[in-house]
Amino acid sequence: MKPVITFALMTLRNLLRRRTIWGISIVILIALFGIGQIPSYGISNEGRFILDFGLFGLEIGALLLAIGLASNIYPRDREKKTLMPVIAVPLSRGQYLMGRFLGAAIVEAAAMLVGCVGLMIILVMNGHNVPVDMLPATGLLLVEGWFLLAVVFFFSFWTSPPLNAPLTVLLFIVSQMSVAGFIKLFPQAPGLMRTLRLILPHMDVFHIKDPIAHGIDIPGMYFFLAMLYGLAYMAFMLSLALVVFRNRDLK
Amino acid sequence: MEDYPLQVKELQKSFKKKLGLSSFKAVDSISFHLFPGEILGFLGPNGAGKTTTINCVLGLLKPSGGKVSLWGSQPAAPKVRRRIGYVPENPDYDELFTPFEFMMMFSSMRRLNMSRNRIYAILDRVGLSKWEEVRIRNFSKGMKQRVSLAIALQSEPELLIMDEPTGGLDPAARKEIRDIILEENRRGVSVFLSSHLLSEVETICDRAVILSKGKKVIEGKLDELMRTEDHYRIEYMVSDEQEELEIHAALLQNTIDDLRGRGYSIIRVNPLYRSLEEVFLSATTGVGR
Repeated sequence: MKPVITFALMTLRNLLRRRTIWGISIVILIALFGIGQIPSYGISNEGRFILDFGLFGLEIGALLLAIGLASNIYPRDREKKTLMPVIAVPLSRGQYLMGRFLGAAIVEAAAMLVGCVGLMIILVMNGHNVPVDMLPATGLLLVEGWFLLAVVFFFSFWTSPPLNAPLTVLLFIVSQMSVAGFIKLFPQAPGLMRTLRLILPHMDVFHIKDPIAHGIDIPGMYFFLAMLYGLAYMAFMLSLALVVFRNRDLK
Repeated sequence: MEDYPLQVKELQKSFKKKLGLSSFKAVDSISFHLFPGEILGFLGPNGAGKTTTINCVLGLLKPSGGKVSLWGSQPAAPKVRRRIGYVPENPDYDELFTPFEFMMMFSSMRRLNMSRNRIYAILDRVGLSKWEEVRIRNFSKGMKQRVSLAIALQSEPELLIMDEPTGGLDPAARKEIRDIILEENRRGVSVFLSSHLLSEVETICDRAVILSKGKKVIEGKLDELMRTEDHYRIEYMVSDEQEELEIHAALLQNTIDDLRGRGYSIIRVNPLYRSLEEVFLSATTGVGR
């Protein structure tokens, strides 16, 4: 485990030294600042709006972070051949993938935590209470972000960065559709669409901003099961990514 | 008895061309081995399959056929990877880090737990003293090559696999690196050295394997490869003056008899040696003796 942790910390430092992460953070901060301006529009139920928009911002932030952080890691390592000395001697391909993933996952977690705290501050500054479920809800969005990171790594092993981003966004969108929505896409083959819906991840389970904004109580078991689902799917995507990576020739 | 540090048997590697409809053989059934403690030169023109072979040896490429083993084990086995040092061709490292940070990372990943002083000493040995804490973005190609060498040496490997280790270096730096390779070899390290620089191979290698178009065309000890089989040099004395004569093997005995018949004394008869460049050109293009 030590080689993986070392490599993860190196990845973390690498990401922090690059400008991408700071660019994405600035976008998130601007979005939070915009949400903080909602009360000045005199909207009723402004607390609900702030919470709703804020969690939505974190959700999109998780997606952008996943793409921004991970889509270029492997292609850059390969193009610049920085991958070769690492894979050739100290690390196995599995350790490389885990190290890179863990480093990016730590950055994603830190960014989500900062976003969550920022949203809490905006709520408090505008005289609203912070709902108890906000932290677990952010936790779910973080698990979704980690899952998206795994997806981005998976795509990066067999496609180019310009194609990786749209594929990930497409998966992000279709993974929130219902069975009926899927069948509408291709009504001629409802059986196939049902099966597809079953296989593809259900990212809607991570999005609970509406019930939280409306003050609906969410059972703790829901958070637990949703997180378990997300982590299991993340592990599955990483395994799939590793299978692809192990079969790649590194020239 | 332990197996060879490196053994390649009937290695093949094909790459698919566009659309995967056809393929070309980058390496075509090559076999060779590296004896413990020797320096084996791996030569060939551009595109001969040297780097492809090295990448197969390191497990970066999957062979299409044949077998590669390091001390009798598969290249991917952790127990053999611990015993290897690798210097890649045209290395590039993350430019936002310093050589010291890289050395620390590799040391930790290899569970070496090296001290700062030890890392500084290795960087000093490869000529990077005072550059330890400078980001690699400021480094020339040759300096990056030195970082590679430092990383390869830090685990005190038993086998050094080097792909053009002196590429991009000036003559003085090339000599420094050659000296380090020889020092390591004296320590008992086996070296597998791919190089374009024939003079370098001639200076430090015990044996050489020459590839051409993916196939092995020659393998042997350098002095055997460079010795011509069909030409000899006769050195003899003609009234206090030394003379010499180069002659085809078929005429050797008659010529010696003739010289003796004239009363000349024969000093020595030696096979004629070619330069490694001549051997290389003859093997890869058919030019030369």
